[in-house]
Amino acid sequence: MKRWESLEDFEAFIVDGGIVEPSDEMPDVYRLAVFKFIELHANSEYMGGLTERDWIPKAPGLHRKLTALAKTQDEIGHAHLLYMIAADLGVKTRDEMMEDLLAGTTNFHNVFHYRVHSWGDQVAVAYLVDAAALASQQAVFKNCSYGPYKRILRRIIAEEGFHMRNGEELLLTMASGTDIQRTMMQDSINRWWLPAIQLFGPDSRLDDPLLRWNIKSERNEVLRDRYIQKFVPQLLNAGFQVPDSGLYQDGETGRWCISDIDWEPLKATMRNGGPDSKRRLIDAQAAWKDASWVRDALDEAVVSQ
Amino acid sequence: MKTYEVFLKKAGKEPFGHVGSLDAPDDHMALLFARDSYGRRSEGEQIWVVGRDHILAGNQSDLALADRSHKHNDGRRVSELRTSQRLKKELGE
Ligand SMILES: [Fe+2]
Ligand SMILES: [Fe+2]
Repeated sequence: MKRWESLEDFEAFIVDGGIVEPSDEMPDVYRLAVFKFIELHANSEYMGGLTERDWIPKAPGLHRKLTALAKTQDEIGHAHLLYMIAADLGVKTRDEMMEDLLAGTTNFHNVFHYRVHSWGDQVAVAYLVDAAALASQQAVFKNCSYGPYKRILRRIIAEEGFHMRNGEELLLTMASGTDIQRTMMQDSINRWWLPAIQLFGPDSRLDDPLLRWNIKSERNEVLRDRYIQKFVPQLLNAGFQVPDSGLYQDGETGRWCISDIDWEPLKATMRNGGPDSKRRLIDAQAAWKDASWVRDALDEAVVSQ
Repeated sequence: MKTYEVFLKKAGKEPFGHVGSLDAPDDHMALLFARDSYGRRSEGEQIWVVGRDHILAGNQSDLALADRSHKHNDGRRVSELRTSQRLKKELGE
């Protein structure tokens, strides 16, 4: 068990690349920050898993249904692993985290506050959103100071990699399809482009403690820009447009520049006031209730022992 | 519910490694959940599931404390001795 005399000592340990384990006597501010970060991640995986589940029966063809099923298992699985390590921090139990999520008192990422209208939307989510989530998770993994989170992220990242490749395959399939498919896909890209790049959040504060404590390893704007440099040319190459009238390529550097983002709507979205937040939460509550018989059966098994 | 720790052994000569934890009502369900949570893509060829309260955790400071340098040999002394012997020989002849 490690222990530090002061926050300064602790921060020096972190700067040296130190790894914090659950049994260590970490400063409360760090414990709470790591906990909140993992809880937000877990909630987002869970809410994402539920939308994924909606598409198992609707996905075209058996193969796509099977991949939707596998992806649902992965996302719910990610939530599960994350809730386990979050609970070990001793701030809230798993049940408390679920209750708070369903009551709408905690948060989940912006991209899960929108409705997935069509198969094109589902492809856009797989292509744009999973990739953005993967990029931000990789940045956490790279230098993460909390041991259990780093170890679990290794597994999550491997599986997100499957999702991203799957998304690219789906997008390219749509791109080489009929006019109807291409139009549907463009519509969905129009809807999901902005939410996807907003997933990285507004520019990081200069004194962001998440960066200082090696929970994040890169600033939000750096991750967002790297994503833009990668995905703008990919979308254009696939024959799609990027829904940004201010988009241009710098003649000298070759870098893509986007219009300024209005971050106000994101703030409301993150407070569960997004376009589809209400329905999503009601849907999550219904799913939780529908599965209560499983939890009851497990609890009964405990009692009968 | 009881908390269990899960260990996977990948194919080949790799030793078992800790992969994470889960909650389950009993040992039987713990094994099922372990496969679903940690072995969906055949990530390992063997799985161990151990109740968290059955794990005896040693005192970390006992492992870290003392100077254990006498238990290692980085070979530096050997190369010094070899060099001096070679020099002696060369000078002597
Ligand atoms: Fe995920
Ligand atoms: Fe994913």
